[in-house]
Amino acid sequence: MRILTLASRNVRRNWHRSLVTMLAMAFACGIMIFFSSLMEGMMLGSEHSVVSMNMGDIQIHAHGYRDDPDLYTRIDDADELIVALEAHGYRAASRIYAYGLLAANMASSGVQLRGVDLAHEEQVTELFKHVDKGAWLDENDGNGVVLGKKLAGTLGVGLDDELVFVGQSSDGYMANDLFRVRGILKSVSDGIDRMGVFMPMQTLRDMMVIPDGAHEIAVIRTDRTGDLAEETAWVEALAPNLEVKSWKQLMPVVARMIETADVQIMIMLVIFYIAVATVVLNAMLMNVFERIHEFGIMKALGVSPTQLVLLVFSETLILALVASLAGLVSGWWISDYYEVHGIDMSALAGSITFGGIAFDPVWYGAVTADALIYPVAFLLIVAGIAVIYPAIKAALIIPVKAIYYR
Amino acid sequence: MLIAFFLSVLLGAFIMSAALAVHGDESNQDRTTTILRAVDDLWRGDSSYAVVTMQVKTEHYTRSMRMEGWSKGKEKTLFRVLEPLREKGTMTLKSGNHIYTYLPKTDRTIRLTSGMMMGSWMGSHLTNDDLVKEARLEEDYDATIGFEGMRDGHDIIEFTLIPKPDAPVVWGRLMLTILADSYTPVLEHYFDEDMELARTFTFTDMKMLGGRERPAVLRVVPADKPGEYTEFIYETLELNIDVDDAMFSTQSLKRR
Repeated sequence: MRILTLASRNVRRNWHRSLVTMLAMAFACGIMIFFSSLMEGMMLGSEHSVVSMNMGDIQIHAHGYRDDPDLYTRIDDADELIVALEAHGYRAASRIYAYGLLAANMASSGVQLRGVDLAHEEQVTELFKHVDKGAWLDENDGNGVVLGKKLAGTLGVGLDDELVFVGQSSDGYMANDLFRVRGILKSVSDGIDRMGVFMPMQTLRDMMVIPDGAHEIAVIRTDRTGDLAEETAWVEALAPNLEVKSWKQLMPVVARMIETADVQIMIMLVIFYIAVATVVLNAMLMNVFERIHEFGIMKALGVSPTQLVLLVFSETLILALVASLAGLVSGWWISDYYEVHGIDMSALAGSITFGGIAFDPVWYGAVTADALIYPVAFLLIVAGIAVIYPAIKAALIIPVKAIYYR
Repeated sequence: MLIAFFLSVLLGAFIMSAALAVHGDESNQDRTTTILRAVDDLWRGDSSYAVVTMQVKTEHYTRSMRMEGWSKGKEKTLFRVLEPLREKGTMTLKSGNHIYTYLPKTDRTIRLTSGMMMGSWMGSHLTNDDLVKEARLEEDYDATIGFEGMRDGHDIIEFTLIPKPDAPVVWGRLMLTILADSYTPVLEHYFDEDMELARTFTFTDMKMLGGRERPAVLRVVPADKPGEYTEFIYETLELNIDVDDAMFSTQSLKRR
């Protein structure tokens, strides 16, 4: 008996009901693909905001620096370490930090000076693309600095305004110099927005009398598919006697939020597909009850219960396959659109910050294999489970009773 | 607190006088007031000029700085760095509760904000806050005599100063030791809010300064870093001299 031929004919015979069932399944599948891609997009976007903006995948500090950011707690052989890291396929940039007072006109504010190794930094982070007004740092413009967004507001300065820094250099003297606002950043993270003053590393080294060493090394992986924890351990082996932490260890709140996004997708899948399952169950039960007379005749002609089960399953499979194909195409299409265009949330939320990190207010989808496969696979499984009861019902029919069933 | 005594010339701080509330019975109260007033008198002057050398030793650097300072009244003080050359001309103006710094390298004057107050003053173990707050001690502390008699071969009086309940101070308690005969300060201990010793001031090297015997050296030692210190050494001290009020204005910082 050609079950598939029979099944496809049965599907077409009551095509109204088949169409409605398929549409319901396709709609659920498409929506779930869209939702998954948005969640994946949020996960990737968040990770991107954290990692590529300033953090890097892995950070190296001297022990104790993160608890007490002391000018003297430095990584002594930072340059050698960066060469070693680059030889192992990582990209790394060293940074030096100093604290002090920045004044403009009569306003002033405590600031964190961030000396940036421009050539390396641009390979590691994308901060240089994140300038709101003006331009990013330039090695040839030693006294041109880039300020955090809120800091510029606190000081009431715009581009090309003059700034005076006063602090204490590492040899105990008063460090002071005149700077000029070269650029103002977009919102990056709470710390940078409020206190960040970026300048070329050599400028800061000269002013604070820090001839060598670094306070921080940010490392980024060229191949981002590997296991972060494992690679953190490798970097740790390259940097003995230093504190090596992955961004997930440095920003546990954000990391946890991103990890729980997977769970959110699963919960949404389950809720949606319970609804889909009732639709499938209802349609197939109707289908079976309508055809009890027919099934009775089939059984009387020698069709086995197993073949009847297979028949009902095949009908459902055809419905589900067509529906998932439609859902896949529509879901993919919508997701792809939002992967390119994004949803602009800035009208709703202004700037979005979480755990001290500013996130891109435009929410992009991400069409990943997971976002496509899970909704389709779930649909097929759920349809299969929902049809078990109708199929058994059909298989257990007693031919004599069924033939006279009206 | 005795930084205020010692640097009163520089800081223009005249503390502890009659305004200081004293506990105890009538006669004791009188006596405490009298003694503290006498200690205060040691440093009294309506205006002053001084040359002081500051030496700082920390784990990371040792530095020396020579500066001159003028004061007038309680609230106005001006310092100017004489040496080293790298910082020559740097000026600190204290006017009321504000501190302004003039930076010759940049030719700019900036006002220190509250956020900078706990920062080190000129790389020493004193904070900017010390410069401002010291002048207000009389309003913030209650004094009692804790010990009187011989200690280490000297006849001394030890005062305990407890902050008043709602006083905006960071210290839990101060202990001030003076010589009983000359009312010269010897030692001062600062205790933090957990009553742990935070820093010790020592006064030594009696010398003729401004027409009287005064301790010429003050050493500040932070309790958590016993190997570090800041030392102030007086070279000259002139009291009750003519000082123009206009000197203590931000406009005058640039002109000098």
